[in-house]
Amino acid sequence: MSDRSGEGAVTAGTEAAELNPLVEKAPVGEATDLPRAFALLAEMTRRFADSLEVTPALVAALESIAAQLGAEGGSLWLRDDQAGEAGEIVCEASVGPADITGLRLSIEEGIVGRCVRENACQSVFDTAKDPAFASSVDKASGIRTRSILCAPMPGSDGAIGAVELINRREGDGCFSAGDLHVLEVLASSAALALSNARMATAAAEHRRVQRELELAAEIQRALLPEAGAVDAPIHGENVPARTVSGDFFDYLELSDGRISFCLGDVSGKGMNAALLMAKTASLYRCLTKTIPSPGRLLAVINDELAETSSRGMFVTMAAGVYDPASGQVVLANAGHEPPLFRSTDGGFRGIPALEPPLGVIQGLLPPEGYPETTIDLAGGRLFVFSDGLTEAIGADGEQIGSEGLEALFDEYQEDSIADCVAAVIRRVGDLEHRDDLTLLGLEQRAGSTSEERAEALWDHRCPAEAKQLAGIRKDLRGALAAAGLDDTRAADFVTAIDEACQNVVRHAYADAPAGDMQVTLLRCGSEWTLLLRDWAPPVDPSCLDAGRDFDDLRPGGLGTRFMKELMDEVSFDSPPAGGGNRLRLVKRLS
Amino acid sequence: MQHEVREEGETLVVALAGEIDLEHSPKAREVLLECVGRSRPILVDLSGVEYIDSSGVASLVEALQQAKARGQSLALASVSASALRVLELARLDKVFTIHASVAEGLGG
Repeated sequence: MSDRSGEGAVTAGTEAAELNPLVEKAPVGEATDLPRAFALLAEMTRRFADSLEVTPALVAALESIAAQLGAEGGSLWLRDDQAGEAGEIVCEASVGPADITGLRLSIEEGIVGRCVRENACQSVFDTAKDPAFASSVDKASGIRTRSILCAPMPGSDGAIGAVELINRREGDGCFSAGDLHVLEVLASSAALALSNARMATAAAEHRRVQRELELAAEIQRALLPEAGAVDAPIHGENVPARTVSGDFFDYLELSDGRISFCLGDVSGKGMNAALLMAKTASLYRCLTKTIPSPGRLLAVINDELAETSSRGMFVTMAAGVYDPASGQVVLANAGHEPPLFRSTDGGFRGIPALEPPLGVIQGLLPPEGYPETTIDLAGGRLFVFSDGLTEAIGADGEQIGSEGLEALFDEYQEDSIADCVAAVIRRVGDLEHRDDLTLLGLEQRAGSTSEERAEALWDHRCPAEAKQLAGIRKDLRGALAAAGLDDTRAADFVTAIDEACQNVVRHAYADAPAGDMQVTLLRCGSEWTLLLRDWAPPVDPSCLDAGRDFDDLRPGGLGTRFMKELMDEVSFDSPPAGGGNRLRLVKRLS
Repeated sequence: MQHEVREEGETLVVALAGEIDLEHSPKAREVLLECVGRSRPILVDLSGVEYIDSSGVASLVEALQQAKARGQSLALASVSASALRVLELARLDKVFTIHASVAEGLGG
């Protein structure tokens, strides 16, 4: 019969591979017709591999299966666990006299429901005798179902659906055990194809989300401050546990030369945390320029976050302001892991949070905001970090805690603060850790005087003559403006140094021609220093006392009074090497 | 530094401008004391003064002292912000009569 010729046709058809040759072929009734079943399997697999859209491939596969096994109709059902109480099955593809695609059944219903539920093949010779038979499908299709062959589409967690054939056309109208075997194999193949298609879709979605996350991470990195100069007193590092981070840190120099810094940790992980992090970081950067008190700054950020944040998210944050001139840090802590201060004697002191994190309750604090702690660095270092560091797992299987961190800080004490921070982050990163790692270090180098740390902004040497003064004033104004000092304060500095220069011009060099004078402008944070050097015979430092009496209007006396009024400190240094005098004018701006 | 002396009725208006510093204050002093010598009310217009130091202030004080000794008036007008700052530093803003403008100084 046609079996033999069909066998030849399968081979030829597979090679031609244009149309499905099997639909045209006569049905087989016996499991012995394995070559044809294998050919069908190969054809289906190729179709699934070629097609990106799974539904047309499933319909074509179903057509092939129904034709191959000589069924009057066929349907492919997929499980939908979200629908109904117990879950439903929905007809995904249908062939035969009636199209029942889209029809839904409870998973408790019908032969196909039982097949999916039990993940087992079903063969029913006479539906009238099986109480499980769901006659609703016949009503919907207008076909009378007599016999059913149904095979599950197996998945990793039970059946993901089933393929059902009805009413064998030939013979006694019943399907054989061999037919069931073939259907089972084909259904398994369809299940595999469907799983692949689903995974491919999920993978494409994952790649899309991953690209967006990478973009978000890039934006986040842009929010972190650029690393400063090698000898900068502050350095931070952030290593996210995922692509995006819920941690952040920032620092910037305020207009008065002090350095504002913060480090925060947003509750939760992933995109939501990252967005809240971006918002908090933006608020900090914007507000710290106008709110110099870290305690009040945190209170304002708290109110803003509490007003708009949702889903119970909050932010722990430590914020501080460091004055390089005095070495003092003013620190406020909103529910954050206690920052550690390491003094030069090697002792550590934690600065615990006395108040809750940001964003929980509005108006929680008095107007002065979160309590502030003042730390005199005195050559020591301050470390602010996220709990990802303390919760890293050490060699003993325990969290390393602040003790473990202290040991690491000790180990890199001799390195610059930037190297120390980088090394500790690297060492903790080598340990088992789950959270973002963020560390900010601040140091005042031991033994450095403010002058050694100061930045020389301007220097000018010229003969001590009255006609030089206009030029000195003009150039100094320019240097002060370039350093960002406002005009009013700059005018005071100019007046002070001008008065000092006058004294040198008038009194220093008794014998003509006049020697030189040299003006130097130094800045260390909020501390501004003007030095006036001359090479004249040493003066009696008590000459500065002349301006003490405010009724003294003698020329010279008035100028000295101006200096004292305008500056915080007016004094002669001990005689400089090379002779002469050096007058020091210091102003601390706050 | 620039200066200009003009007569407005009985009053001598002395306009000083530019930078009155150690280099130029001797000239300012000379102009002011010469006006005091003319025995008429004096109004010093400081609107053009960009900078004044203690030596400039001392010149003004000396002129004021001499004018008072001779029973004449000497007032300031249109004092620029930077000049006023220096007068305040010297606590001299209360010693001088300061008019907002030359017109006000002449009217008063």
